[in-house]
Amino acid sequence: MDASNPPPAQEPLARDDRASGSDGAVLTVNDLRVCFAGDRTTTTAVDGVSFTLRKGRSLGVVGESGSGKSVSSLAVLRLLPTDSAQISGEILFAGQDLLSIGEKQMRNLRGNQISMIFQEPMTSLNPSYTVGDQVAETILRHRSVSKAEAWTQAVEMLRLVRIPSPETRARQYPHNLSGGMRQRVMIAMALACEPQVLIADEPTTALDVTIQAQILDLLENLKSTTGTAIVLITHDLGVVAEACDDVIVMYAGQVVESGSVEQIFSFPQHPYTVGLLGSLPRLDEERDELVAIGGTVPDMTQPPAGCRFAARCPFRIEKCAETPPMLEVNPGHTSRCWRTPLEELADEF
Amino acid sequence: MSFETTSSQPPLLVASDVSKHFTLRRTIFGRPLTKVRAVDDISFSLQPGETLAIVGESGCGKSTLGRVLMRLIEPSAGAVTLDGVELTALSNRDMLAQRSKIQLVFQDPYASLNPRMTIGQTVGEPLMLHNVVPKAQRAERVKELLKMVGLRPEHASRYPHEFSGGQRQRVVIARALASEPKILVCDEAVSALDVSIQAQVLNLLKSLQKKLGLAYIFISHDLSVVKHIADRVAVMYLGKVVELGETRKIFSTPRHPYTRALLSAIPAAHLGHGRDTAAHALAGDLPSPIDPPSGCRLHTRCPHARPECKAVDMSLDVEADGHANACAFWKELPQTDDLLGKGRATDPRLAKLFAAFSNPLPEGEQAPC
Ligand SMILES: Nc1ncnc2c1ncn2[C@@H]1O[C@H](COP(=O)(O)OP(=O)(O)OP(=O)(O)O)[C@@H](O)[C@H]1O
Ligand SMILES: Nc1ncnc2c1ncn2[C@@H]1O[C@H](COP(=O)(O)OP(=O)(O)OP(=O)(O)O)[C@@H](O)[C@H]1O
Ligand code: SF4
Ligand code: SF4
Ligand SMILES: [Mg+2]
Ligand SMILES: [Mg+2]
Repeated sequence: MDASNPPPAQEPLARDDRASGSDGAVLTVNDLRVCFAGDRTTTTAVDGVSFTLRKGRSLGVVGESGSGKSVSSLAVLRLLPTDSAQISGEILFAGQDLLSIGEKQMRNLRGNQISMIFQEPMTSLNPSYTVGDQVAETILRHRSVSKAEAWTQAVEMLRLVRIPSPETRARQYPHNLSGGMRQRVMIAMALACEPQVLIADEPTTALDVTIQAQILDLLENLKSTTGTAIVLITHDLGVVAEACDDVIVMYAGQVVESGSVEQIFSFPQHPYTVGLLGSLPRLDEERDELVAIGGTVPDMTQPPAGCRFAARCPFRIEKCAETPPMLEVNPGHTSRCWRTPLEELADEF
Repeated sequence: MSFETTSSQPPLLVASDVSKHFTLRRTIFGRPLTKVRAVDDISFSLQPGETLAIVGESGCGKSTLGRVLMRLIEPSAGAVTLDGVELTALSNRDMLAQRSKIQLVFQDPYASLNPRMTIGQTVGEPLMLHNVVPKAQRAERVKELLKMVGLRPEHASRYPHEFSGGQRQRVVIARALASEPKILVCDEAVSALDVSIQAQVLNLLKSLQKKLGLAYIFISHDLSVVKHIADRVAVMYLGKVVELGETRKIFSTPRHPYTRALLSAIPAAHLGHGRDTAAHALAGDLPSPIDPPSGCRLHTRCPHARPECKAVDMSLDVEADGHANACAFWKELPQTDDLLGKGRATDPRLAKLFAAFSNPLPEGEQAPC
């Protein structure tokens, strides 16, 4: 079946229009903070993150390993360990703050209106049920269909995510499948409920490039046919350029830059993003030497005062000892750096 | 069969008709029942100071080939010759002596370092094993090696957990360099690293190559990294090399439908990419390597397949410039132009900002490497 066709035998779900605000915002995160209390130290994993996700758009989240990408998304789903994680801020979805609703209500939203594809697929599938049963189970929970019908739809979903011979595969257990196929089963489960928000944490990292291309097409298709808003966490800037509309760049627990894909790839406004783009080998350009950002990320048990990128930044000045605010450089394009707009800096070098 | 580059130097490494078949099941009499042809009849050569990349989808046999070249795995058939010595004919004991010339750097810098050994002990171990320098000079040599990979000599007394991912991969490289090899086999050596750290390690590999004349077998699934680092590329599919040629030509005028499919699937970090995957996309999934399709192994997925493809052999057709590919009908395939699309040129002001990152950092605490 062609990926450009929606799965058959399936009614488009009636959308709850209250879910999206007048500006099309489906999910709004305001000043999210997450700390993990350890024995003696506290790690600040997410420190004042804000972003808005709009209906039918996809938001790419990029950043150094450990910058808080996964923790932010787990916080949205309230899946962080309640004993060690301290969470504050606001997560607005369908007119309510997800941080203050009850656990039962949250369970209803999770894997229903908001669903997630996790970074490690093996840990999130149940080893003792066939993959077909697991997808059918998700469908049963969200659509009023018979068991037989749910199974048929589950097989269709597996076909949609490009699992070969889905009728046979549906009867197999997770350990019978390759890592790439398990990841596709996860994606099928996440899509089965036609969520309003899909959070995908490195969904294609474990996949070969040919399958990755198919999955990205599939997500694009989902976005345009059902209006699902997508958060795509990835370290691959190529994936962001291709699959996203907007981007936030994270560094040491903070959003340091935010804007449209077009804005950020044509002229980034935060030095970390500049380094990140420069460190990427390009297919269409010869680059003799890649930009290597020297140094390491700060220790988040004691985040440095002032700009968190300062120790690695070639554009650092005295003022950078003070904490830079998020400044709007161009309409819709903001950066947490004292020296914006960076175009003007270029003349100094 | 072999493909020499135009260079007049004798090749450093030659693989001739190398195969590795893993036996999965045997009869009670020990006769093999099921076999995986992980590497099937592969030939190529590597010049001193050259980088040959091996690319292809997961399970196509890249790591197996890399390990067979080093005789970490015994080939089922074929010969590997390093510097005029046929490795595949050596006793285990003689092989040990040759092992210093070809070293492996693999994916996970966390798993490949012993957490209880200091960096100095880790890097010094091969010096002792291969008796590279007299005992009295070992400590000095460890410091030189650490400096060579951009670490500080005083790091010798520290333990792996005190280092970042990029620094650990530098330690792994320093250790591989200790025995003064001529070839490094890098198996997904930068794949687990953040892009900014990956860039450090790629720059390091390039500069070491210039300085020491090292040759690399660079195994990777990341085609933009491969384009950046390799002189030549071998593309593998289900145990077979389907295309082999100069990097520039592989990327600009790929011959084989499989190479075209791989290239058209790469997401590119520039705008206006306008990828047209559909025309080159493969149908279905990778078949099982246990029972690969007959004839051309790509025929079950190839957009250009015709009935004859089920019976053709996959020998390489070599053009005058050495560019080789295994599609029996490649001359009849549609032209490929601009598979990768054209990105927008980098703003010259942005290029200046990129350059600023290679300047020393302003005063204050320096970055550690
Ligand atoms: N359950 C936990 N308890 C304590 N610390 C945690 C926990 N989960 C994450 N952290 C810490 O929070 C920080 C952010 O981690 P996170 O997983 O969000 O990073 P990430 O940006 O997703 O990185 P990657 O790209 O490697 O996936 C890290 O310093 C991590 O060690
Ligand atoms: N020791 C072994 N026993 C049996 N089969 C093996 C063994 N090692 C590898 N194989 C099989 O040989 C084939 C090639 O494996 P190999 O690890 O070389 O692939 P690869 O190209 O390196 O893949 P990846 O990109 O996933 O690392 C696979 O089908 C694999 O399952
Ligand atoms: S605020 Fe200063 S140190 Fe921070 S990124 Fe901007 S220029 Fe660099
Ligand atoms: S021989 Fe046939 S199936 Fe194989 S690559 Fe060429 S056209 Fe495709
Ligand atoms: Mg993560
Ligand atoms: Mg491998």
